[in-house]
Amino acid sequence: MKLSLPKPTFWTMVLAFIWILGIYSAFTRFYYGLGTATNLSDQFPWGIWIGFDILVGVGLAAGGFVVAATVYIFNLKSYKPIARSTILTAFLGYLLVIGALLFDLGKPYNVWHPLVMWNPHSVMFEVGWCVMLYTTVLFLEFLPVLFERFRLERPLRIIRSITVPLVIVGVLLSTLHQSSLGTLYVIVPDKLHPLWYSGILPLFFFISAVAGGLAMVIFESYLSARAFGKELEFKLLSQLSRIIVVVLSLYLLLRLQDMGSQGALKYIFDFSTESIYFLIEVGLGVVLPILLFLTPRIRNNTAGLFLGAVFVLTGFVMNRLNVAITGMTASAGVEYIPSWMEVAVTASIVAAGIVIFRYAAKYLPIFSDEEPMGVHQPPLVAAGKSGKVAMGILGVILLAMVIGLGIGLTKDKLPDPGMRIEAAVVQPAGSLKLPDPIVYEMGESSPGAVTFSHENHVDPSAPQCKTCHSGLFKMRPEKAGALGSIQMDLLYEKKQCGVCHDGEQAFNVEDNCEVCHVAAE
Amino acid sequence: MKSAILTDLTKCIGCEACALACKEINELPVSAPMNMLSAYTWSAVEHRNGVNIRRQCMHCEEPACVSACPVAALEKTKEGAVIYDAGKCMGCRYCMVACPFGVPKYEWDKSIPTIQKCILCHEKALSQGKEPACTSACPTGATIFGERAALLREAQKRIDENPGSYVPHIYGMREAGGTSVFYLSAVPFADLGFPGNLKEDPYPKLTWKVLSKIPNIVSTGGVLLLGIWWIINRRIKLQDENPPSV
Repeated sequence: MKLSLPKPTFWTMVLAFIWILGIYSAFTRFYYGLGTATNLSDQFPWGIWIGFDILVGVGLAAGGFVVAATVYIFNLKSYKPIARSTILTAFLGYLLVIGALLFDLGKPYNVWHPLVMWNPHSVMFEVGWCVMLYTTVLFLEFLPVLFERFRLERPLRIIRSITVPLVIVGVLLSTLHQSSLGTLYVIVPDKLHPLWYSGILPLFFFISAVAGGLAMVIFESYLSARAFGKELEFKLLSQLSRIIVVVLSLYLLLRLQDMGSQGALKYIFDFSTESIYFLIEVGLGVVLPILLFLTPRIRNNTAGLFLGAVFVLTGFVMNRLNVAITGMTASAGVEYIPSWMEVAVTASIVAAGIVIFRYAAKYLPIFSDEEPMGVHQPPLVAAGKSGKVAMGILGVILLAMVIGLGIGLTKDKLPDPGMRIEAAVVQPAGSLKLPDPIVYEMGESSPGAVTFSHENHVDPSAPQCKTCHSGLFKMRPEKAGALGSIQMDLLYEKKQCGVCHDGEQAFNVEDNCEVCHVAAE
Repeated sequence: MKSAILTDLTKCIGCEACALACKEINELPVSAPMNMLSAYTWSAVEHRNGVNIRRQCMHCEEPACVSACPVAALEKTKEGAVIYDAGKCMGCRYCMVACPFGVPKYEWDKSIPTIQKCILCHEKALSQGKEPACTSACPTGATIFGERAALLREAQKRIDENPGSYVPHIYGMREAGGTSVFYLSAVPFADLGFPGNLKEDPYPKLTWKVLSKIPNIVSTGGVLLLGIWWIINRRIKLQDENPPSV
């Protein structure tokens, strides 16, 4: 195979442009830090790298577990033709999400810490673990494609035999972390706008991820069919659209009902920024696609199907961004608009996903529903020995998770009554409490020791501590040592006491030795 | 004992001695503005509506940040301080999102940033039985250190004895499930930029309610999925073996 640069078509130029900006942004982010590359701030610590790259990225990869479950657990083999490309999309999606996360983390080299530093009370801990495990599962689910491509029969047979346990683990992990991304926001009831905040955000995130993931399957099947001149699995996709209608309707009903019970319905039509974004999200992204997919003429038309999926995806993306950004703006008190570098990194990552998918589709058997080497295998029924082993491992993993969580629960420390701190006496507040006089011992050739008195220097009715602290003199006694030694030379240079004792603001130090120095007897 | 800080805003003269003492003991740059919390100002004095308002970490009894941290880099100590281990931190900033008081700050200008916040002088004073730098520096006794329960009694006593001088509210007693930093004020707290309407239940409870269901979801879900797979496959297998007789 000869290596050659791709022809400079319009799209390769666009790609090159995005990646050049992306590389520059990546360098800036890692060399100068998040503050230089992003518009993030103490008021707005999470931006589009979380809102889009993570929340949307993970959500749209949900097609993977839904289709895998449909094919392998519910045994609807008719969906098999789309299983592989869907699983590939999900696998790529998760890899890109992890890539994006490395941009967002302040210390990306510590990304493995949740593996050994446990905090089962943390939602983020759960998300981290699930994403790691599920990416591994997706890799294993994707392996058969590679094995087929390179005709590795034995490994292929092994991996096939553990398909079902793999898919089950995958479904469980997906359910957990899709919902957990919503749980992340359950801890901010005062910060997230009531149009989006809910105690059951995890449920909403899960349901909308199922709808979004399915819409992604339609979206991507349509585009791949066009790009690779493959026949569209039209009947399957049309059926998917009907499932989307059911899922979205359930979602809409639950959300409105939940908003009603929280008294948030009144915000829908107050035409604040939030209400407008909400109306677009729900109107265009939920209600409209339900209506579109309910219309047979649109559902049974390729373009109509595609259009409907685009609306679902729009609504999904808007929902995640609304939770992460729109809904958090009012409480943050500052407006967050991503910097061009944040956008460039996100665009580069999305572009990378498209390019990798294209190459995978070109060189790997992801659209073939045939199974060149496994046709006569009783497909998934006989799990065999390795299947049993896998089930055993699954059991051990489940057990470990339960035990781990159990330990985490009982780890709650109880206060140790033996612990004692010398309590500072609670002083009745009132008059100004000034430090005791400070005695400066005689130095060499000094006419006598000096006692500094705060009382002589501070007007209790309008104390100006800052005049002397902490620029001229440190405040902490243990630190005072360094600057505590007063030197007459410095005073003459208008330093230390000399700053004020210059003959203008206060008496001159040169002619008034005896005012401060008291000769030893 | 559980230590705490009581700040009586009516007695604060705004000298910023607490903020300076904090900078000295924690070796933070004095050049960073002292009227707002930042990565370089852990103890600030804000001047708002003619009131001097001391700001610092509230050191919640059940801190949202501690529960949020995926790597347990934040910890509530026996002495009452919420401390931070930069070595564990991976920089996800969920603690900043989770904190209802907006306390944890970030070193946005550094290529390897860490979270920055008041740690109640845990290492340099508290664990040695000394009081934090800020309260020891206060010249008016506006911000004082002591045992949590004793400070709450003291705060209540001040309100009871001078009902005209204070709004009848000890900020921090119930907010977010109770904190270790209490405030007394003559002006309603909502006018001073204190987050109002905070939940009186600890924030970690909100997420724990969801997280604690995971073992159930995993076990029930696993059994359910296995069951569905088994039933469906068995039926298909039986059908294949004994095709319905004509």
